[in-house]
Amino acid sequence: MNNINRRNFLKNCGIGMGMFVASGSLVEALFAKGASNAEVNEKIFGLSTEDIKKLLEIGLSKGGDFSELYFEFSVSNSVMMQEDIIKSSSESITLGVGVRVIKGAQTGFGYTNELTFDKIKNVVLTAAAIANSPKSTVISGMLPKDPVRQVYTMDNLISDQKLETKIDLIKSAYSAAQNYDNKIKKVTASIADSFSLITIANSEGLLISDRRPQVRLMVNATAEDNGVRNTGVGNDGGRIGLDFYKTQSTPEQIGKKAAHEAITLLTAKNAPAGELPIILNKNYSGVMVHEAVGHPLEADGAWKKTSIMWDKMGQKVASPIVTIYDDATIPNLRGSLNIDDEGTPTENVVLIEKGKLVGFLNDKLAAKQLKTKPNGHGRRESYANNPIPRMNNTVLAPGEYTPEEIIKSCKKGFFADTFQGGMVDSTGKFTFSVNLGYLVEDGKLTQPLKNATLIGSNIEVLNNIDMIGNDMGFFLGTCGKDGQSVPVTCGTPTFRISKMTVGGEA
Amino acid sequence: MKLNKQNLLKLAEDLVKYAKQKGADQAQIHIGDSTDFSVEVRNQNIEKLTEASARGLSIKVILDNKVATASSSDMSMDTLKKLIDNAITRAKLSSKDEFSGIPELEKIEVDIDSLKLFDPQILEVAADEKIRIAKKLEEIALKDSRIKISNGSFFSSGFGATILANSNGFAGYYEQTSVATGVYLQAGEKDNMYEDGWYDVSLNWAGLKSVEDIAKKAVNNTTRMIGARKIPTALMPVIFEANIAASLFGFLAGCLSGSSIYMKQSFLTGKINTKIANEKVNIYDNGLIPGLIGTQPFDGEGVPIRNKTIVENGILKNYFLDTYSGKKLNMKSNGSASGVTNFYLEKGTHTPEQIIKSIDKGLYITSTIGQGTVPTTGDISKGAFGLMIEKGELTYPVHEVTFSGNLETMLNDIEMIGNDLNFRSSVNSPTIKIKSLSIAGQ
Repeated sequence: MNNINRRNFLKNCGIGMGMFVASGSLVEALFAKGASNAEVNEKIFGLSTEDIKKLLEIGLSKGGDFSELYFEFSVSNSVMMQEDIIKSSSESITLGVGVRVIKGAQTGFGYTNELTFDKIKNVVLTAAAIANSPKSTVISGMLPKDPVRQVYTMDNLISDQKLETKIDLIKSAYSAAQNYDNKIKKVTASIADSFSLITIANSEGLLISDRRPQVRLMVNATAEDNGVRNTGVGNDGGRIGLDFYKTQSTPEQIGKKAAHEAITLLTAKNAPAGELPIILNKNYSGVMVHEAVGHPLEADGAWKKTSIMWDKMGQKVASPIVTIYDDATIPNLRGSLNIDDEGTPTENVVLIEKGKLVGFLNDKLAAKQLKTKPNGHGRRESYANNPIPRMNNTVLAPGEYTPEEIIKSCKKGFFADTFQGGMVDSTGKFTFSVNLGYLVEDGKLTQPLKNATLIGSNIEVLNNIDMIGNDMGFFLGTCGKDGQSVPVTCGTPTFRISKMTVGGEA
Repeated sequence: MKLNKQNLLKLAEDLVKYAKQKGADQAQIHIGDSTDFSVEVRNQNIEKLTEASARGLSIKVILDNKVATASSSDMSMDTLKKLIDNAITRAKLSSKDEFSGIPELEKIEVDIDSLKLFDPQILEVAADEKIRIAKKLEEIALKDSRIKISNGSFFSSGFGATILANSNGFAGYYEQTSVATGVYLQAGEKDNMYEDGWYDVSLNWAGLKSVEDIAKKAVNNTTRMIGARKIPTALMPVIFEANIAASLFGFLAGCLSGSSIYMKQSFLTGKINTKIANEKVNIYDNGLIPGLIGTQPFDGEGVPIRNKTIVENGILKNYFLDTYSGKKLNMKSNGSASGVTNFYLEKGTHTPEQIIKSIDKGLYITSTIGQGTVPTTGDISKGAFGLMIEKGELTYPVHEVTFSGNLETMLNDIEMIGNDLNFRSSVNSPTIKIKSLSIAGQ
C-alpha cells in the first residue's frame, strides 16, 4: 500500500505467482460448442437476459449515468516439477460478478461470489448509492453478442489437454535445463493455464461474452560453481494452444534459456556505476517502453492531471525516430484481447508518432472525462476489481539499423540482456532492473554483468533514444497498478539510449 | 459475524471427511471470508466507493505421499466436491514425495481474544464517517501551498475470518478487523514534480493515527524532495529511513523462506548458526504481540504461531519453515506456512538525528523505486530518492540515483541502529546506518 501510486511490472518467474491455469473436463462441459451466449450465461451465472436487464435498471434507480455487470468464470490449472519429481498440481475456480455504477466522475463498486438474483441485487443497490437523485430507467433491446474479432486460437487449447500431456511438456523443459550443464543444481518447471468466460452487460444495452485462454510455461534454474550460485529464468506462452510449444517455442528452448542465464551469471561481475550509453536487447527490453511510455499515457493520469504527460498531447516528447503503439489485436500474445473488460472492441492505438504524443490509452470513464472515445484499454484483474486504463501489447516500432550496427556503434556502454522488471511513478521517474547484462567495449559484448538497476526521467530518456534496430522481440509480463495485476506483453527492437544512470559498483 | 463460525467450521470439517471418504490419506481445508469497505477521494470528491464481500476456499489432499491442491471462489457444494474428486484423481499423477504431509496436531495455547485482532467498532462506524475522514485527511494535506497535485486519499476497513481444518483433527477459527487511511501528493514545478505520501493502518479503531499526523508526514515526505538534483557517482555512508530500512528486511525475510533455502535460491542456504550480520543486529519474528498487523494464532497449516529469534548478535538462528520445508531441511516447522508475522530489527539507542550527525558526507535514503533484488546472491540495486548529508546536516534533496550492494555485506556493515522502531507492517525496522554503499548518479 505504501507504493499505491507506483506502477510495477514483474515478470513471473516463481512458482505460485500468476496462477493462470485449467482442467479438461470442466471446461469442455461448461463451454460446449454450439450453446448460445444466453444459454451459457444462464447455465454458468444463473441469470437470464431479463434478470440481467432488471439488475442494470436497479443500478440506475438512484440516478446513476451508467450501470454495469461483469461476470467471470474461470478454471485454472497448474502443475510443477521440482527436484526431479512432479511435486503437485492445482486446480482453481473463479466465479463472481463485479457491479459498477457511475455518476459523473464517481464510481460505486461492489462484488460478490454468491450468484443469486437477490444477493446481486443487494450489491447493485449499494453501488447505485453513489448517486442520490432517484429516477426510473428502462433499458431497451439487450441482445447477447460475440466480439467481432477473434485474436486468440481456440484450437488444441492447453486447458483441454490431459494432465499427462502437460506433465510431458514440463518434463521436457526440466530435462533441457538440467542437462544443459553439470553446474545446474536445481530446476523448477511448471505450466499454468486458464480458460475464462467473461460476460459484460451494461445499461447502454451491451451484452457481450468473450472466451479467453492464457498459458505460461516457466523454468527456473540455479547453477553453482565453487560456492557461487545464480538463478536464471525462462518462460513463454500467451493466448495459445498446444501447437505453440511444438512449433514456435519448445519447452526445451525455454529450459535451455533459463540454464544459459544461470550459467552466464556465474561469471558475471557487478556493473560499473554512473552514466553510460545503454543498448537494450530486443527480446526483453519492452519493459523500458512499458514504464517510460505506457504507464504515463494511461488516460486516468491524463484526466486526473496526475501524469507528467497529461498536458502534452500533440507535443514532442521523444526523439523523432520513436514511434510507439499499443495493439491488443496482435494474435495470440499474452496481452491480446478481443474486447477489453468493458466490452469495447480492441484496436491498435498509436501513442507516440515520430516523437510526438498522439494518443492515450482510454477506458470509458477516462474517455468521457477527456471528451473522446474509449479505445479498448479498460482492464481489470478480476470481477473483484473495477476497470482502469491499462496496456495490452506495447510496442516500439522498428527502425533502420541492424542489431550489429548498434552494438558496433558503442565504444563503451552497457548492454541490457534480461530483466527482472521495472517501475514508474506519476512524475515520470522510472527504473528497470537488469538481471543479466554485458559490458560493451569497442563495439563488442565482453564481460557479463549482473543485477543492475537503471534510473531516469521518461521524457529525457525518450529524447535520448538515438538508434533503433530492424529486429523485434516480445516480453511476457504481469503488470501491477492500483493493486491490480493483468497479463501484458511488450515488444521492442534492439535499441540504444545515448545515456542513462546505471546502478553498479562505484 | 460470529454467526458464521459454526457453519464455516462445519463446512471445512465436512469437506475434510469427504476427501478422506474419497480416498485421501490426509486432507486440509482453508476458508477465507472477508467483507471490505473503501473510499477513494481526490480533490475533495468521492472518486470510488467500494463495498463487497467474498469467500474463498482452498483444498489440499495427499494420498500415498502424492499431493494435489485446489481452490475456489464458488462455494457451492457441488463444485467443492467436484474439485476434491478431481484433486484425488490428479494426486495420483504426482510423484511420491516422502517429505509431504500435514502437520501433527499441536494445541493452540494462546487465548485468541488476548491477541486483540478484532475490534467491533471498525464495523460499527458508519460509511459517512469513514468518507469524512478520507476527505479531512486530503483537505489538511492540500492546505500546504507547496502541494500542487493530489493523487488522492483513501480510507479502507475490513473484516476477515480464517477457518482451517485438517484430517489430523485440527479445527481453528479467528477473526480480524483492520482499518487504514492515507494520502498521496505531488509537489514541485511543471515537469519536475515529486510524489510521495503516507498512510497508517491498525487492527483497532483507536490505534489509527490522527489525520493531522498522517497529513503532516505525507506533506513533509513530498515537499522535502522539491528541487532535487543528481549527485556524482561515489561510495558513501548511507542512512535508510525507518520504513525504507524495513523494505531491506523484507528482502531478507524472503531470503529466509524454507523453500528458497532448500532450492538453494537464497544466499543464506547453509548459513544457519553462522554470522550473517554485525553483532549489533538482533532480529525477531513475533506473531503473538497483541494488536499488530502480522499477529495470528496459527499459520496456514494450523501450526501454532510463536516468537522466533531470527538473528541473535549477528548469528542466523532460524529460517521460516512450514511442515514441508522443515522436513526437507531435517528441521521442524516453526509456524511459518503463512510467511512472516511481525518481523523486526530490534531497536538501538540512537535517535535518527544522532545518526545523521555521525556522517560527514553521505546520503539519507527516504524512498526507493524498482525491483533489483536477487535472493540467490543477496545482490541489491534500486533507484533511490533522499537527502544529502553534509557535516552532520541534511542539506539538499537528491533524485535519480541508485544504490547497489549485497545484503550480507550490508547487514555486516550496519554501524548504527535507531531507537525509532514502529510496527506498521509485517516487516519493521528502525532507522539504520550502513558504513558504505555505491551510489550511482552523474
